Amino acid sequence: MSAPGTAALARLADLVGADHVLTDPLSLSRYAVDGRLPWAAVRPGTAEEVAEIVRWARAETLALVPTGSGTKLDLGMPPLRYDVAVDCSRLDRIIAYDPADLTLSVEAGMRVAALEAVLARHGQMLPLEMPFYDAMTIGGLLASGSSGPQRQLYGAPRDFLLGAEFVTGEGRRAKSGGRVVKNVTGYDFHRLLIGSLGSLAIFTVANFRTFPRPPAQALFVASFAELDGALALRRALVQSPLTPTALELVSPALAQRLTPQAAWLPSGHWAVLVLVGGERAVVERHAHDLARMARSANAAALTRLDAEPMNRLWSRLREFPSLACEISPAPAIVRLNTLPSELGALAVRAETTAGRHRVPVALLLRGVGILYVLLLPDASSAETLARLAAAVGELLQAGAEYGSALVEFCPPELKQVVNVWGVVARRNDLGLMRQLKQVFDPDNVLSPGRHIGGI
Amino acid sequence: MYSRKAAPRRLERRTLRDLQRLLGPENVLHEPEDVLLYEYDGSVEVARPDCVVFPQTTEQVAGLVQIANRDRVPVVGRGAGTGLSGGALAREGGIVVVFSRMNRILEIDLENQRAVVQPGVVNLDLTKAVEHAGLYFAPDPSSQKACTIGGNVAENAGGPHTLAYGVTTNHVLGLELVLMDGSVVRVGGRTPDTPGYDLTGLLVGSEGTLALVTEITVRLLRAPEAVKTLLAVFDRVDDATATVVEITARAITPAACEMLDGWTLRAVEDFIHAGFPLDAAAVLLIELEGLTEAVEVQAAQVFDVCTRCRAREVRLARDETERQRLWAGRKNAFGAVGRLSPSYYTQDGVIPRTKLPETLHRIEQIGATYGFQIGNVFHAGDGNLHPIILFDSRDPDQFARAVAASTAIMEHCLSVGGALTGEHGVGMEKSELMPRMFTDDDLELMRRVRDVFNPLGLLNPGKILPLGKGCGEIRVQPLPLRSSLPA
Repeated sequence: MSAPGTAALARLADLVGADHVLTDPLSLSRYAVDGRLPWAAVRPGTAEEVAEIVRWARAETLALVPTGSGTKLDLGMPPLRYDVAVDCSRLDRIIAYDPADLTLSVEAGMRVAALEAVLARHGQMLPLEMPFYDAMTIGGLLASGSSGPQRQLYGAPRDFLLGAEFVTGEGRRAKSGGRVVKNVTGYDFHRLLIGSLGSLAIFTVANFRTFPRPPAQALFVASFAELDGALALRRALVQSPLTPTALELVSPALAQRLTPQAAWLPSGHWAVLVLVGGERAVVERHAHDLARMARSANAAALTRLDAEPMNRLWSRLREFPSLACEISPAPAIVRLNTLPSELGALAVRAETTAGRHRVPVALLLRGVGILYVLLLPDASSAETLARLAAAVGELLQAGAEYGSALVEFCPPELKQVVNVWGVVARRNDLGLMRQLKQVFDPDNVLSPGRHIGGI
Repeated sequence: MYSRKAAPRRLERRTLRDLQRLLGPENVLHEPEDVLLYEYDGSVEVARPDCVVFPQTTEQVAGLVQIANRDRVPVVGRGAGTGLSGGALAREGGIVVVFSRMNRILEIDLENQRAVVQPGVVNLDLTKAVEHAGLYFAPDPSSQKACTIGGNVAENAGGPHTLAYGVTTNHVLGLELVLMDGSVVRVGGRTPDTPGYDLTGLLVGSEGTLALVTEITVRLLRAPEAVKTLLAVFDRVDDATATVVEITARAITPAACEMLDGWTLRAVEDFIHAGFPLDAAAVLLIELEGLTEAVEVQAAQVFDVCTRCRAREVRLARDETERQRLWAGRKNAFGAVGRLSPSYYTQDGVIPRTKLPETLHRIEQIGATYGFQIGNVFHAGDGNLHPIILFDSRDPDQFARAVAASTAIMEHCLSVGGALTGEHGVGMEKSELMPRMFTDDDLELMRRVRDVFNPLGLLNPGKILPLGKGCGEIRVQPLPLRSSLPA
């Protein structure tokens, strides 16, 4: 990027205070997107400052990338232009929390972990367990379209986000939805913004419905010599009246990383992890029925974890991208969205594809119909990356046949040869998306080029 | 509520001719006596279309939209016409597109709990088609025997059980759309999280102002193994509302929690014989669903709360027949009230659950001020009010007072941090109230997004967005939200 005009920087400092404009290389390194650095980062303290920053950038024809704690900045394609990072982490206040109404209004830069601590004091929670849990912010998880294993029971964030306030690419503050649990007033822009990677607007406030913390919880782990057994248990579970919080199938390569040599999870076995929450009687009922289902599905073992061992294993699985980074120097994570009934066939295809390109692979199958393929090459040489790229390309193709697919994480070099948004040739909704981008961000100020179809 | 008859515009001869060629003359109504039926929906508004068409395929919908676009004629989608906010009325005349002949269930995927339906499929018919496999479609508006899934999508319809399972948008995965230029676009899909912007989320609840929906992919839920339905009877309305507040505060999560006040339940009992006690001040109809163990625990908790809040009696429905009778009382409440008065006006507002007691007091005051008996039968568990105002629409003074009373109720909802509509939609009923909830910038963004899909304003004109654009003297400021933090 061209060097900043001193005058432009001075105007920025006028808006937010010089203390909140960062230009030193060490600070800026935290805001790298696919290896590209901005020439400044700004830390607004209010929504109005966010709006002023966007209007400033628009006037100066600069490109902004909004960020929370920076854990998912490598999602999407590299930005076409990147001048200034808008670090929203100072927007970290709870605006309103009405525990008796189970509703919450919170600024977008607040860390989920900090928020959860407040909710826990009132016996409540948000089902937002997902990768980068300890660092991620509310705005970041929404903008990145992340969801986690609790989706099995609670749905994705789009299902419990009640409304939002945001700043558009024109620097206008706007809102949609509200703070009440039921509301159909006006267009649901807050849903539209979920997963938009900051390309339409910058979240400043999010309103949620909160949930009671389950009084009891347990994690059941069933192990299987073959994938078929694991799939049979999944099927039996979803066709039963049981109400698991999460249902995850993990391939042997990943399973053995979750816990050190436990007898109940033999090496080379698939693991089915079933998280259950509710009244104690509800947890016991699950224990009882799961034992029967696991036997019918020929499980090698079924074990129950409570308290600390449960939390340890569960958080390790939740942070599976970190596991991928532990295993491989240049991992890629491809996410395939499919019908639950197709998960098995797609898993086999993913393993075959990876094998053909001699890329070690691990799989995480989420019961709702999501398959994470972790490609774990043991080197980061050019030759390895070429094989990785070929495998990723084929997986994206397969994903399009079964539903949809995208690359959630990969070495930045890969993005020179692979479009992380997958195969869009047969889709005809991208034109509408481009027009919406025009409305929200006519001058392409926000995250230019990162989103699907070059948006 | 801003009743206004559209001046018949008389379609151009070629518009009518081309529609007849496209759809067949039998599928195009245009004689005044034929279109008369379509000047009403479930609201108190009236607006007469110039013609009414019945397409049978997506291609026909695309074709008719092209004709309308060419000749600059408004197009208004319509399901069963049960909507309560005027969403299906041709406010500016034009073509009403009735989807009753696009009523096929295209695919049922029991294994994956999905169905693909045409918009004219009746809500309850989908559940009937899958209940043999223990599945059902969750949104359950009171009109579910008649209303269509297309209409549910347009209005983002709710129902009593949305307390636990969410409204329509939580159950729609993908849509086929016909845009105003006649192009057919697919958004979302059968699988979760199609990459790109969530256009499905934008379209559901857009009240027919962005596109005509011609195919819908929905999620089906597995029926719970246990259901308990409780009727709690109260001698004071305050005790009933306190019960709802306490159930919410204790984070007990019933599948449904409905309230009928004494006046309404007497009207209902006279008509339906649901078994409501005639001398009660209010009843709560509370349904618990899920695993047997969970339902047992919750039922005990609810029983405890009701008793502490001075319920006179808490009755458990003994069997499915009794349960169905109680629900018939709830779902036919509006029909029952309709027998008492030439006209009635059902409002739809939302408040935080904690504000329920003061809100019912305020509604009573408003009734006294404007001289109306206002009944309350509503989704108490999610704070979704449905005050019913009985009046005689033939009396202009009463009509005006009913509008004023209704507006006063909405103002109260907004002043306590609520919303203008929980499930009926903005439609033409509340479009002029939108500036009370949204700023000029909010509304301008909505207008510009609408223009992307609907550049000439031909698709369901006069809905959602206020018409008072640029009229500074009638513009009203949004009310400030009260901020609250827990102690």
